Amino acid sequence: MRWLSLLLFLFFAGCDKPSDKIIIATAANVQYVMKEIQQEFEKESGKKIQIVVGSSGKLTTQIREGAPFDVFVSADVKYPQEIFEKGGGAEKPKVYALGTLVLWSKDIAENDLTTDVLTTEKVKKIAVPNPKVAPYGEAAIQVLAAKNLLKTIEKKLVYGESIAQTAQYITSGSAEAGFNALSIVLSDEMKGKGHYVIIDSTLYKPIQQAAILLKHSDDSPKKAGSEAFYQFLYSQKAKAIFRKYGYK
Amino acid sequence: MDFQPLLLTFKLATITSLILLVVSLPIAYWLAFAKFKGRGVVEAIIGMPLVLPPSVIGFYLLLAFSPSYWFGNFIESIFGLRLVFSFSGLVIASVLYSLPFMVYPIRAGLQSLPASLREASYTLGKNEWDTFFKVLLPNCKPALLTAFVLTFAHTVGEFGVVLMIGGNIPGVTKVASVAIYNEVEALNYPAANQYAMVLFAVTFLILLVVYSVNNSLLRVRQSS
Amino acid sequence: MEVSLGLGAGSILALTGPSGAGKTTLLRQIAGLAKPEFGRITFKNSIWLDTEKTLNLPTQQRNIGFVFQDYALFPNMSVRENLAFALSKNDNTEIVDELLAETELTQLASRRPFQLSGGQQQRVALTRALVRKPDLLLLDEPFTALDYQMRYQLQNLLLRFQQHYHFTAILVTHDMGEIFRLAQKVAVMENGKLVNVGSPAEVFLGKATPESQFDIYGEVLSVEKQNDGLLVHVLINHKISILNLPLEMLDQLSPGKKFLLQHNLGAPDIRLFDAD
Repeated sequence: MRWLSLLLFLFFAGCDKPSDKIIIATAANVQYVMKEIQQEFEKESGKKIQIVVGSSGKLTTQIREGAPFDVFVSADVKYPQEIFEKGGGAEKPKVYALGTLVLWSKDIAENDLTTDVLTTEKVKKIAVPNPKVAPYGEAAIQVLAAKNLLKTIEKKLVYGESIAQTAQYITSGSAEAGFNALSIVLSDEMKGKGHYVIIDSTLYKPIQQAAILLKHSDDSPKKAGSEAFYQFLYSQKAKAIFRKYGYK
Repeated sequence: MDFQPLLLTFKLATITSLILLVVSLPIAYWLAFAKFKGRGVVEAIIGMPLVLPPSVIGFYLLLAFSPSYWFGNFIESIFGLRLVFSFSGLVIASVLYSLPFMVYPIRAGLQSLPASLREASYTLGKNEWDTFFKVLLPNCKPALLTAFVLTFAHTVGEFGVVLMIGGNIPGVTKVASVAIYNEVEALNYPAANQYAMVLFAVTFLILLVVYSVNNSLLRVRQSS
Repeated sequence: MEVSLGLGAGSILALTGPSGAGKTTLLRQIAGLAKPEFGRITFKNSIWLDTEKTLNLPTQQRNIGFVFQDYALFPNMSVRENLAFALSKNDNTEIVDELLAETELTQLASRRPFQLSGGQQQRVALTRALVRKPDLLLLDEPFTALDYQMRYQLQNLLLRFQQHYHFTAILVTHDMGEIFRLAQKVAVMENGKLVNVGSPAEVFLGKATPESQFDIYGEVLSVEKQNDGLLVHVLINHKISILNLPLEMLDQLSPGKKFLLQHNLGAPDIRLFDAD
């Protein structure tokens, strides 16, 4: 009998009751920054938060299907706007940072790394985040169009499923060069892998990254904490962290 | 609807299955009848794709195919071919990934035949080659059919590996499963649904045909 | 296994003994389908196996015919195709038609094995083993699975073939009648060893003594009291008969009980009959 009750105890101990932990759905390109923001926020507020990483599209789908997320930190404006229009947000999405596009290569040195090098024999494949779903991919295509290069190098383009996979294509040398987010290049994990140059930001529409506070019922125990984190995201402290990672 | 990803999927599955059929026959024969030490090692290697996550295979193939590593570099310098982000690369990946689906049913089919069939053929003066192609293979048609269709279906359903090494190039590496994923990412559910429905219907039809054919083959055999 | 055995060309040797004695293994070793640890097999002037010289002629080159217990017909081929399969590239195909006619299989030539009876299948298998005109025919309990009549017919066929083609044959069998009908020589194996070799008469009849008594084994089916005796129904040789037994045996008799009946053979009444 004692064994049975112990067993039951273990069983129920394993099944958490709905957690009070605040869950932040985070787009892949912000994941490294979010780690630092999380530390700062937890230090300041004493509240624990949990970060779930995915592509903005996937997270949007999950939120629409009722995933228990509290704040959605997206890679662009489109997805949070979509959620807001469907009535999933507590308020309108707000832009928390502007992304910076870089051209990145494992082997080509900074001096040679321009959009012109993409047309040469040296570069056989160019990795771009899928422009249909990734804002950095969209921006990369705008840059190539502005430079009138799109037609000539279209055959060289390969599309990463996310910004992270595109980074993998570039750092493994599978593609000689590619476009990515400055925040990824500057992250601890990627620092020092290859060479990069920042792309003239007038060549593409600003990559606005927005977040949205998701709807809570008034008696939700997570409501106050979620609001606190959402406020923190737009604080001077957070802005400094974002800048450190190459956001504007 | 853009039919290109679907056509590409079926082209990939057909080519992969045909190559695997040729490759798997000797392997299955060898595994079924040869006596050698270290059989467990060989079987484990062939069976790995059954249990490994496709992302693991995809990840290592991405590195192997990349010109920064020796294999990719070797292929590129000898044949001028870059396997990563190419259709040939997908074919090679699919062949590795679906290998057990072709080898195992054929091996099981060969082993289920009575040993006396093979031995009778030898006593009639026939070598292993003739015995294999004229006696053993014709008598395990259901196993061959099963193996071919499982391989085909498994390749149609391949996703993780293609996502890792394909690069999503329309008409080259953007197969249906990836197209579905993209459409879902872009919140374009109707388009995802169309692709998914076609895959659903086609795979159901294929399996239906196989099982009907196999059942009727067995019925003929047992009707004596 | 320890076996040393010589055999005259053109004769039939029967290999017999309890199951597990190694008869089939020996046959398969002669065919080259199994390899013994040590040994030498020679046939006419050629060496088929010599483990000391690491010589082992493959089955295909031993010019043998082999008849399997399970027939081993190829299910994907018709009767004719099964026979024709044994031909080499440049062989004359006439032999197939000749054999089909000789074994009355012409009518069945286009049938598949699963459309034939067991006896017909074994007839095809025996015929197929002769297409290559082997010097040595090996038969592994070929007729065991068949009923008496079928067995008798196939034994006749084997004898006819042997007179026609003059091959040497080794036959694994448990059937005493078969041994006496077919074999000039018999070898008895036990635990992988030869325990007796000779003509069937030498091996089996030498020990026989003239008997006036027969042992008959039976089984009790039912017991009934009748007057001052017992009416007992019994099963003897698959037939139900009635015995009258004394009353004091009642306690010993119960249904299912086995018994031995010793019967005096005074003036034997023997009737002969043919199987065909």
